[in-house]
Amino acid sequence: MASRHGQKKVKEEAPELVKAREERESAILKDYLGLKEILKEVIDSQKRDNDALKVTTALLRKSPDYYTVWNVRRTILKEGFLDSADDDTANQIYTNELDFVQENLKLNPKSYWMWNHRRWCLEHMSQPRWDRELGMVNKFLEIDSRNFHGWDYRRYIIRQLDLVDKEASDKVLDRAQAEFDFTTNKIHKNFSNYSAWHNRSTLLGKLAEAMTEEEKESIVDNEFDLVKNAIYTDPEDQSAWLYDLWLIGREQKSISVLGASVISFHPLEIVVAFDQTVKLRNAFTVSTRLEHVAVPLEGEWKATGSDASLGSVWIFQQAPGAVYGPTVEVLIFTEDVCAVRAGSTLQSAVCFELETLNQDLNEISGQLTRLVVGKNLMFDVTKRIGPVAGPDGTIETQPSSSKHLVTSLTSSESLEGRVELLQREIASVRELIEIEPDCKWPIQILSTLLSELRETVSIHSMQAKDIDDECIELQEKLISIDPLRQERYEDRRTQLVFDRETLSIIKDSKRFPEIEFAPEQPRELDLAMRGLTHIPTSSYFIHLHSLNLDSNAIKSTRFLRNLLNVRRVNLSNNLIERLEGVQHAPSLEFLNLENNMIAKWEDVVAGFVFWREGKLARTGCSVKVLLGLNPVIENEGGENVLEQRWEDVGEVGIEIQWKSNELLLAEQEELEQQLQGAKDDGGEQGSFKMDGNRRVSTTVVEIATGH
Amino acid sequence: MSVMNNSTELDEAAPELLLDQHVKFIQALDTKKNDLEYWLTEHLRVNGLYWGTTALHLLGHPDALDQEQVVEYLVKCQHDNGGFGGHIDHDPHLLSTLSAVQVLITYDRLDAINVDKVVDYVVSLQNEDGSFSGDCWGETDTRFIFCAINCLSLLKRLEDSRLNLQNTIDYVVRCRNFDGGFGSAPGGESHAAQVYVCVGTLTILGALQHVDADQLGWWLSERQLKNGGLNGRPEKLEDVCYSWWVLSSLSMLKRSHWIDATKLTKFILEAQDTETGGIADRPGNMPDVFHTVFGIAGLSLMGYPGLVAVDPIYCMPRHVIQRIGLAEKH
Repeated sequence: MASRHGQKKVKEEAPELVKAREERESAILKDYLGLKEILKEVIDSQKRDNDALKVTTALLRKSPDYYTVWNVRRTILKEGFLDSADDDTANQIYTNELDFVQENLKLNPKSYWMWNHRRWCLEHMSQPRWDRELGMVNKFLEIDSRNFHGWDYRRYIIRQLDLVDKEASDKVLDRAQAEFDFTTNKIHKNFSNYSAWHNRSTLLGKLAEAMTEEEKESIVDNEFDLVKNAIYTDPEDQSAWLYDLWLIGREQKSISVLGASVISFHPLEIVVAFDQTVKLRNAFTVSTRLEHVAVPLEGEWKATGSDASLGSVWIFQQAPGAVYGPTVEVLIFTEDVCAVRAGSTLQSAVCFELETLNQDLNEISGQLTRLVVGKNLMFDVTKRIGPVAGPDGTIETQPSSSKHLVTSLTSSESLEGRVELLQREIASVRELIEIEPDCKWPIQILSTLLSELRETVSIHSMQAKDIDDECIELQEKLISIDPLRQERYEDRRTQLVFDRETLSIIKDSKRFPEIEFAPEQPRELDLAMRGLTHIPTSSYFIHLHSLNLDSNAIKSTRFLRNLLNVRRVNLSNNLIERLEGVQHAPSLEFLNLENNMIAKWEDVVAGFVFWREGKLARTGCSVKVLLGLNPVIENEGGENVLEQRWEDVGEVGIEIQWKSNELLLAEQEELEQQLQGAKDDGGEQGSFKMDGNRRVSTTVVEIATGH
Repeated sequence: MSVMNNSTELDEAAPELLLDQHVKFIQALDTKKNDLEYWLTEHLRVNGLYWGTTALHLLGHPDALDQEQVVEYLVKCQHDNGGFGGHIDHDPHLLSTLSAVQVLITYDRLDAINVDKVVDYVVSLQNEDGSFSGDCWGETDTRFIFCAINCLSLLKRLEDSRLNLQNTIDYVVRCRNFDGGFGSAPGGESHAAQVYVCVGTLTILGALQHVDADQLGWWLSERQLKNGGLNGRPEKLEDVCYSWWVLSSLSMLKRSHWIDATKLTKFILEAQDTETGGIADRPGNMPDVFHTVFGIAGLSLMGYPGLVAVDPIYCMPRHVIQRIGLAEKH
């Protein structure tokens, strides 16, 4: 694409050399500019003769990426020669073109335009010799076995050959086998040939289509052997490892609906929580029984937060004036949701029947958008029923058990096959780790395999716990041997720690491996000092009243949008740069953000956009936010300036404390000391230096959980 | 995102950004008419203007080139069919059409051209399978899909009834590989630049759910080598331009922190030419405007102090994307 890939900078030459070079270049340049002039004449006069063709030849030799000249050349060839030529002559012309391209490709093997011209010739020939092309591209791949133009071209030729043989499926299959063998050959020459591994992955699927289950299993075993050869030769080379991961395959994750509940009666509001972020394809169906007839209830579904089209917690609000009976049904069809995480699907339709007779919800004061916030979601779910009829009246079949992926190629009806494969591979990777304890790839693969194995067991089993503990250790190890990708491992560890710490919130669903809310929900959760970088599944926290996240490495407050019931959140000593989602937490009363990374006034008020619209003043909510020890204080002129500034904004109900509790305490002490007449205090206590390069310690503190 | 993350060891200090020298380097590009190189890269002139003007905007010198002159020149590159050539009298192509549109939007000068015709040209290149050809000669590549979708998005014409965007999404999904990455066509090997164009297309079209962000994020983060530089495919050499392709893709997947920004910053800065200004593909090589803009864009995305913020999808100044109302869309 660009001009100077890999061009070494040369040392300043001697003046006489520079002069000689300039003279030489100037002569070439003059010649080149002359050719360009003639080209312009050719274009303007629409000349289509041999002389015109020669101009393009000369220009393209000098400037093969001058794509307009290739276009002109094709036009000359077509209109000046090919349109009036017989078959033999035409073929000769095309053959000459192929020779011309081949000669130039040797000098510029990465020119898109040349490969393109070659395709044009072959596609217009009456009898293209695709087999010869294969020979040509072989030579190119011998010179540079990773040239992606070469590989792309190779696949193109094979496609063309397959098209010729489209009636003869055995020939097509033989060709796929030959191509597969070609990659084997290339891989044996160099295990690092990722292009060959890639191509192999595209061919294996094709070959497997014509195989029996036994044949498939045997070829898969061969593949594992090849991978093993490669990784024992060079365990640091990622090519074979990535192929290995693909062979093992990943079980398709299912989306779980954690629960549903009525959270307000006037107007009717219903909340549905998922275990992951989903997008709505169709609005979930809400209906109610009026005089024994089910009628649809009009209304709107919105995700919490500022982006109402995406989220893990969805709220339905009835249209004004709509009437509902003693029960309301929420129906979620598999087609209604799509996961933001690729590959996840809702396995079967879910239906919730919610009672609306007993309108005894605890009213809480000061919500922003909701009048009442409900009880535990699970308590409100009268029934989960299924199977249910789809909108077209047909019953969706509920799969008795989903197929389990054994590898990317094979799947089995039972879990055993999957578990057996995973255990075999886990044992094999462990052997390699014994020999190469500081190589990151086998550790990463082991962690992935263990996580796959965890999918096959109950979340509350001992095995799941052991797997989580081991995986967390593996991330620690990875952080120490591969610091470049430290934050990726920290994110992974966060997920693992989070899963371990939230086990009391969820339970296995009858439709394993799905999960749902446990019947008893904790009101408080202490996750201080767990090394968390983010909150992986904030919908788990929908019931919490109080959450302690002190001293983690959390960067964003966006998860607050799903904490519909939360009153108190402690986020002191984290890495938050900006207040977000605060305005969407309807019950929030106290938020501690002391000692974070909030550096600008705009990043503070960003959290209160909602309130700036004046909504808070109407509902009369009161929230206290602690912002002491954030860089914003020093950056914007100190606590007193900010205090005044916030007062000028004129918001009612939001109290921001700019001074840290520590500082307030110190001031109070000082005052008391002054009152006592003791004046030996230095007054240095209140000065805290903010360091922009701070990182919260990543050591996970193990705290015995006694539930 | 902070540049200061991830610092695990105290390396020797990274060199400074040679801001003024880069401005001069770009300004001087059009004065090298005695160099053969100048003429041999003529077909990239419109692309070069996009690379140059974008770099200058990110460097905080938006007026370093004569805007009137640039616009006048671009107008001359538009053909009757609406497409732009790589230079005056060069044939129209999607690659140069996108660049021209990007420059004109950056300068807020769409008024200078016939926008309807540009849209006609781009729309005319969509194929039945959803892919786009680069020009009337028919070459297809996921790069051209991104050129088309990016261009139509910038022009607010994605709603054009002649388009079939679902086919485009389906086609891009067919280009997804065993490693989670994307290639130039179905079956094509994953390559960081092709990942960028495919992830960019899916982001603009609101179809990012087809990407397994953890898997692809993993693959992308493994592009970083010990010296901090990024490569485009496994077991290949590092190159400054991948700072952009990899980092912007990670950014669209919300995983830009999965590589070491401090080390990458240092690598880019070391590829600067201290004599002439400009950035090369790697330290010690000849600088060019292509690597200069993608080096600077990478630095900007990592929050390098003193640079104007870049948009990770469109590779244009963030404030321009905000001005035309696309910043909130994604």
